[in-house]
Amino acid sequence: MTVLLTIQQLSVKLQDKLVLSELDLTLNEGDILGLVGASGCGKTTLLNAIAGFNKPSEGQIAIDGHLLSDGENCLPAEKRQVGMIFQDYALFPHLTVKENIAFGIAKLSKTEQVEQINHLLTILKLNDLGESYIHQLSGGQQQRVAIARALAPKPKLLLLDEPFSNIDARLRNELMVEIRLLLKQFKMTAIFVTHNKDEVFTFADKMAVMAQGRLLQIDAPSIICRQPNSYQVADFLQLGSWLPCQVNSTGAHSLLGELETELIKGEKTRLLYLLVKPQQLTLSVTIDDKNKANAQVEYISVTEQGYHYYLRSIDTPSTDSTLVFNKISLYSNVALTIKQQVLLQIKPHELLFFEYNPL
Amino acid sequence: MIALNNSKTWKLSSYLIALVLMVPVLVMLVGGVSASTQLFAHLWQTVLPSYLENTLLLAFWVVLLALIFGVFSAAIITQTNIVFKKQLRWLLLLPLAMPAYLVAYLYTDLFDYAGPVQRSLRAWFDWQSPSDYWFFDIRTLPGAALMLALVLFPYIYMLTRGAFEQQDQNLIRASRLLGLTAKQSFFKIALPLARPAIAVAASLVLMETLADFATVQYFSVNTLTTAIYDTWLGYGDLGAANALASVLMLLVLFVVLAEQKSRAGLRHQSARPNLNRDLIKLSVGQQIIASTFCWALVIFGFLLPLTLLIVMAIEYSDIAQLSVLMSTGVNSLKISVIAATVAVLIALSLGLYQRLHSDKYRQLPQQISGFGYAVPGTVLAMAMLSTLGPIDHWLNGAVEVLGFTAPGLILSGSLFAIIFALVVRFSAIANGTIISGIKQIPQSLDYAPASLGVNLKGSLTKVHLPILTPAIFVAWLLVFVEAMKELPAVLLLRPFNFETLSSQIYQLISDEMLEQGALGAILIVLFGLLPIVLLNKSKEKV
Repeated sequence: MTVLLTIQQLSVKLQDKLVLSELDLTLNEGDILGLVGASGCGKTTLLNAIAGFNKPSEGQIAIDGHLLSDGENCLPAEKRQVGMIFQDYALFPHLTVKENIAFGIAKLSKTEQVEQINHLLTILKLNDLGESYIHQLSGGQQQRVAIARALAPKPKLLLLDEPFSNIDARLRNELMVEIRLLLKQFKMTAIFVTHNKDEVFTFADKMAVMAQGRLLQIDAPSIICRQPNSYQVADFLQLGSWLPCQVNSTGAHSLLGELETELIKGEKTRLLYLLVKPQQLTLSVTIDDKNKANAQVEYISVTEQGYHYYLRSIDTPSTDSTLVFNKISLYSNVALTIKQQVLLQIKPHELLFFEYNPL
Repeated sequence: MIALNNSKTWKLSSYLIALVLMVPVLVMLVGGVSASTQLFAHLWQTVLPSYLENTLLLAFWVVLLALIFGVFSAAIITQTNIVFKKQLRWLLLLPLAMPAYLVAYLYTDLFDYAGPVQRSLRAWFDWQSPSDYWFFDIRTLPGAALMLALVLFPYIYMLTRGAFEQQDQNLIRASRLLGLTAKQSFFKIALPLARPAIAVAASLVLMETLADFATVQYFSVNTLTTAIYDTWLGYGDLGAANALASVLMLLVLFVVLAEQKSRAGLRHQSARPNLNRDLIKLSVGQQIIASTFCWALVIFGFLLPLTLLIVMAIEYSDIAQLSVLMSTGVNSLKISVIAATVAVLIALSLGLYQRLHSDKYRQLPQQISGFGYAVPGTVLAMAMLSTLGPIDHWLNGAVEVLGFTAPGLILSGSLFAIIFALVVRFSAIANGTIISGIKQIPQSLDYAPASLGVNLKGSLTKVHLPILTPAIFVAWLLVFVEAMKELPAVLLLRPFNFETLSSQIYQLISDEMLEQGALGAILIVLFGLLPIVLLNKSKEKV
């Protein structure tokens, strides 16, 4: 695979505040990268720096081997061959659909322009709307026009800033699948920004998780879900619940029992948090002397398959307060009641412990 | 910082334009303040106290009357079920189109001792002399205040009405549920909430009053504006005129500061207006009183003066008058078209600079250029004379040294000075309109052209300017109309034998011969209606 985008040690300051800090990123040709992170983490700033709207204070950005900015020199946005689809689409309200698409290809001959426009109109199913103005189109149609306009100048890289946030939830998934197929058809390399991890699973080949101006992890979405590299990544993506454990080289002690692990080195006992996914838990409602309850129901909601519960530990005066948990998530088709006491057990699986380090 | 345009030429020219627009007033202020303490002492011992007293008294009465007219009419229109509400809603704006000096002249003609009203009264009641009865003397300071309030109250009406309409109706409903009657909740909730808007409107009225020249001159009420005019044109004393203008400017600055403080309070306004208002239901008697009040304002502020003008025009118009009207009209058009075009070009350049340049202080040139809106025309004229006069003298000297004939007063004695003054005075209007147009363009449209490979020039010509076309048109029209109506600056700066519609009408009023210019006066009123129509349309959209 050929590397298309290389970002090295990129830092961006906005109004004297460091928004991106020493960020490294590479992207292969034809890959679609989904960039997720909480609001204000620097996702849009990164897109703007690649597009040429933010001037980096340090670091390099190169596309296809051509240096776009190196901290001192900064190629103007219009010379970068980087297309962008804006959150509000930024379609020109005084121009028709055809004129919007033609905007970036004025240097081509008239015949080539018409050919290109018609091709895009056909692919994006906008054939009957060429002469319409933007306000006459639906949200979905406007998005298609924005895509057609961005693709017309044949950019090397396409940036999409929360492109699905204005789309009706019912249509969103359908549209994402359609646009992904289109980008693949054009062999387009793309980065898209979202705060919705589910969009990344549907749309992207790779996922990058950002926090406080840094990239925490970048990999295939399935790998990140299986092996998040930090508390922050797992917590932001809401991959499971957190069970506090006292861990040492012999194993892990929690309010849900003893857990065997050989991964933790060192003699000292440490407080770590185990990532527990709902499918890694078993629930038992038969409580007796042998099977003592260790959790109680705090919250119940109904789902299509059954019920979703939040459970908290049953605390006694002798309970180690550091091990108390109050929000273990569990799905089950067994009907429970609020405050009902149950026995929770962890199925044997590869245990993922993290130090507490919230966003 | 967003890497937008960083052209040094654009930056330099923007600051230069702003500076050029501000320099005359600065020169005048410096000249006035540093004139000489002796001059101020002399003015203080002679005329200044009475001028100041008259100015402040006039301001007090105008604001008080305009508040009564404006707040009550706004309350009636928004809070009650008055009949013909839909019509009165916009009719109450119309007096804004009527220049105060026209109303002053027409009502003096109508209500003076020799006028038809007093003549009829004397005939009916068989009164022989003024000692037989009392009648309101219109050519007095309170009379001038009434004339000004009659045409300025729509500022207060408009902003107060807006404030009432923007109020969250749930607040009123909550007060009703807590036991207040409709009337009580108006006085305890709605009115206090509208106070910042009322204060802003009152300061606008105050500024207009301080800037008025023709009404007070016609009524022989000596205020600072008339004093400046007389000191310069009567005695040719530029230093004293400058000093008086500086005092007036300081008064205006004080009002501007107070106005900005009031504006800060506008944040209390609700962003959740509710148009389903619970109206106060008026009894028949209350309907009659409220209707009489509102219709009296419309009739005396607009319909009656316009009718009088139309009657005059029908009775006295002739071909000779039309030809004079044509020539003065063309002069007015000429200066107004140029001033509007220049002001809009400046506003566009500075507005786009503010939006698209990377300069950290990019809003500064635009803010500086809008400074002239508060400067009364008379003060501005003095500023032009103080600045351009010395430049002319220097130019003439330089040309003579080079062995050529001195060209004369090519700056201060030509249309240049008038147009310059009009641009300084009305740039703020163009700025406001263009900036609000620019703000309507989403920020993403600034970036989109670049992402499609189009540079700044292409972006401006293909995206920003076409989208801004309606705002450009409105800004041009507003400045054009204001320039057509401007009187004091034109009177003081016009070249010899150069008359505009407003200066000619003022001249005819001074000579008690408005009949000869009735057609021109109607034309000015009609031009004055244009911004009101635009304003009303934009308010309806809200």
